[in-house]
Amino acid sequence: MTAPSMNLRDLVILVAEPSSYISMLIHGMLRGFGSNKVIEVRNSNHLLQVLTVQKIDILICDVRLPPHGGLTMTRAIRNKKDNEHRTIPILIMAGDSRESTVKQARDAGANMVIAKPISPAGLYERLSWIAFNPRKFVDTESYFGPDRRFKIEGYPNGIGRRKGDKVVEVAAESGPTLAQGDIDNLFSAVRTGQD
Amino acid sequence: MTKAKTGQEARIFAVETRFQKLARRDGGVPRDKAIAQAHAEIEQVKPDFDQWFDIELRELAALVNNAQSGEGKPGWIETAGFRSRQLRDSAGTLGFELIEFIAGSLCEILESIEAGNECNMESILCHVDALILARQPYYRALQPEQVPELTKGLRRVVKHVTINPLGVEK
Repeated sequence: MTAPSMNLRDLVILVAEPSSYISMLIHGMLRGFGSNKVIEVRNSNHLLQVLTVQKIDILICDVRLPPHGGLTMTRAIRNKKDNEHRTIPILIMAGDSRESTVKQARDAGANMVIAKPISPAGLYERLSWIAFNPRKFVDTESYFGPDRRFKIEGYPNGIGRRKGDKVVEVAAESGPTLAQGDIDNLFSAVRTGQD
Repeated sequence: MTKAKTGQEARIFAVETRFQKLARRDGGVPRDKAIAQAHAEIEQVKPDFDQWFDIELRELAALVNNAQSGEGKPGWIETAGFRSRQLRDSAGTLGFELIEFIAGSLCEILESIEAGNECNMESILCHVDALILARQPYYRALQPEQVPELTKGLRRVVKHVTINPLGVEK
């Protein structure tokens, strides 16, 4: 089977990352993937400004983006009605990939979480997963965002789960950090009744 | 429509974003080529890492030294945490595993202080010293398991100050 290719040309990608150096690395990776329209912001105030003047196709946002934090921004984007960006894909980057953080990201309305440090393969797979696995949106009194009940059948392009991936059980707030495979499983844990 | 737990109607609807539409167009970069090109982009900026790392390390050391001498500005822990995280994450992406390990270890200590644990300056200073050591070309190329005395020592320090925050001898 021929693996599908992801075409990022002319898509506007907003990278919200406080570190200019890391932002530059992510920008370089995206350029390598074929992206030609990347906007960088360092803080949530600038992020909000950009969203009001520019149409964005996907947001890649650090969980600790100052001063408000990436999850507050995610909730703001999802909860604000009459907002043209309300359903854009949001990929949260987290150095602190504890279960509680990942669950908070999922419940804020993020499409996916990627663990820092970020590798080109890790970033490509998550972007590709968002592109090729559109999820329905759910609108309730307490939540607006991608359906949290979904199942990862394997990443596109023939990439399946990694060998060491395992089912995640919900743990205490201060639990250990999760590997990327565990993060992906936690995002998919709802359907199997674990969360 | 599906009933939500609150008794309100839950609206479930399909969304196809512009990202999804356009990303699936023909003419994209095949996965392996895209990743290889991304690595090539990273390789291009790698030579600048030394210079950037030196500046960051100097700033971090200055923050810590000021705090030790009682001249630390309010919020210095938060700033040190930011600098440590970006050292960890950039070194991790660029493949400098020993720097990633030491900076990650320092992040754990700073996060525990932010969470309310006592600030143990010695534990922070020894991590800054370890980063200065790891900056040298010989050490930078090493993996954490190749310097077990250093890495085990740092793990012991982290365990000591995060599990036993008051420094009470066990």
